[in-house]
Amino acid sequence: MVAIETVLDATMEHIVLVYTTLLISIVISIPLAFLSLYSKKLAFLVMKFANMVQAVPSFAVVAIMVPLIGIGFTPAVIAIMLRALLPIIKNTYIGLSNIDPALIDYAEGVGLSQWQIHRHIRLPNAYPAIFAGIKFAAILANSIAVLTAYIGSGGLGEIIFQGLIGYNTKTLLIGAIPAIVLAILIEISFTAMEKRLTPTHMKE
Amino acid sequence: MTLIQVIAEVWDKNLMTMRTIEHLQMFSIALLLSIIIGVGVGVYIYSRPKIANTVLNLLNIVETIPDLALIVVLLPVLRLGAGPAIAASVLYSILPIARNTYTGLKGVDEEYTYVAHALGLSPRETLFKVRIPMSLPLVVGGIRIALVFCMGVITLGGLVAGGGLGTVLQNGIQLYQKDAILIAGIWTGLLAVILDAFAGIIEKKLHQRYGTW
Repeated sequence: MVAIETVLDATMEHIVLVYTTLLISIVISIPLAFLSLYSKKLAFLVMKFANMVQAVPSFAVVAIMVPLIGIGFTPAVIAIMLRALLPIIKNTYIGLSNIDPALIDYAEGVGLSQWQIHRHIRLPNAYPAIFAGIKFAAILANSIAVLTAYIGSGGLGEIIFQGLIGYNTKTLLIGAIPAIVLAILIEISFTAMEKRLTPTHMKE
Repeated sequence: MTLIQVIAEVWDKNLMTMRTIEHLQMFSIALLLSIIIGVGVGVYIYSRPKIANTVLNLLNIVETIPDLALIVVLLPVLRLGAGPAIAASVLYSILPIARNTYTGLKGVDEEYTYVAHALGLSPRETLFKVRIPMSLPLVVGGIRIALVFCMGVITLGGLVAGGGLGTVLQNGIQLYQKDAILIAGIWTGLLAVILDAFAGIIEKKLHQRYGTW
């Protein structure tokens, strides 16, 4: 049997791993998406790269971290980031660029500065797309975080791998079920947040 | 030793030709099952619109489950081997295929169904001769998403003795063989990207042939 403290510790480690990665990914990708608005070349590169990396199996990404960076928490964060970053950049860029040009014209007409247009027009209009991207990234991060236990990141995956080594069904489930519950909680909480942050006039 | 020699040696030592064939075998079985079940579910919920949302929401929850956790939960039932990985791939792939089939069937322009009706086609004929061909591009789009899911989950199969390229990666990490990890990792990634690009070409062709949106 696995002690309850072990499960709680592993869950905490798991949450820290997921949210650290998610935070870093958001901080990096939102400015990058804004930059892509100004450079067609960068936008093209980012989208092409994003679509391509999406196809690479997570296990391959996680495994390649070992010879390149090593094992532990940091390689795990980088591996998860490689997968989580791109959906956020992609969605943010799509959200920011798919805006009614008339809205921008109006904004310029009433004399808003470039910064004000970004802050008050483009960003709120892109919220639904950005949040869809972040939600997707969070779920992806949660699922890869289970796998990165194999390269020593800790977290719930560690209990699962313990169970796999001894082929102990109970231990396996004790690791897997909290990970599944966490995933569903992430889905629910992000959907709720998305609803709150969407401007009232954009709600259907 | 040149780079090619190193790659050839690692390739032989890890039986990578055999592993690749194994990998593609599991992948094809998983994708085929996904397409059959996914399209089936899509057509079924199209004919029963009342339960469509419930089914799609349920499948949405399955989608959030971490892949390794899903495989592990299936282990006690399906035992070690390729079974859990294939089953998990199929479970993940039903949603994109079913959702796209459903959206595709529903999204067919009413003009076409009117014309079909006017020509005297029965509802069944309309489904098979008008709606299904018209929704093909979307269905293939769903299959392309499923292809990426299957590839990822099948690679994880190596961790539960499923064979395939995941096994080479697992051995590489366990024994800390850097070049084996690198070569197998890059090869696995490349294989997935090539298959995805291939599916992309088919999708584009179908769009040109049937696409109306």
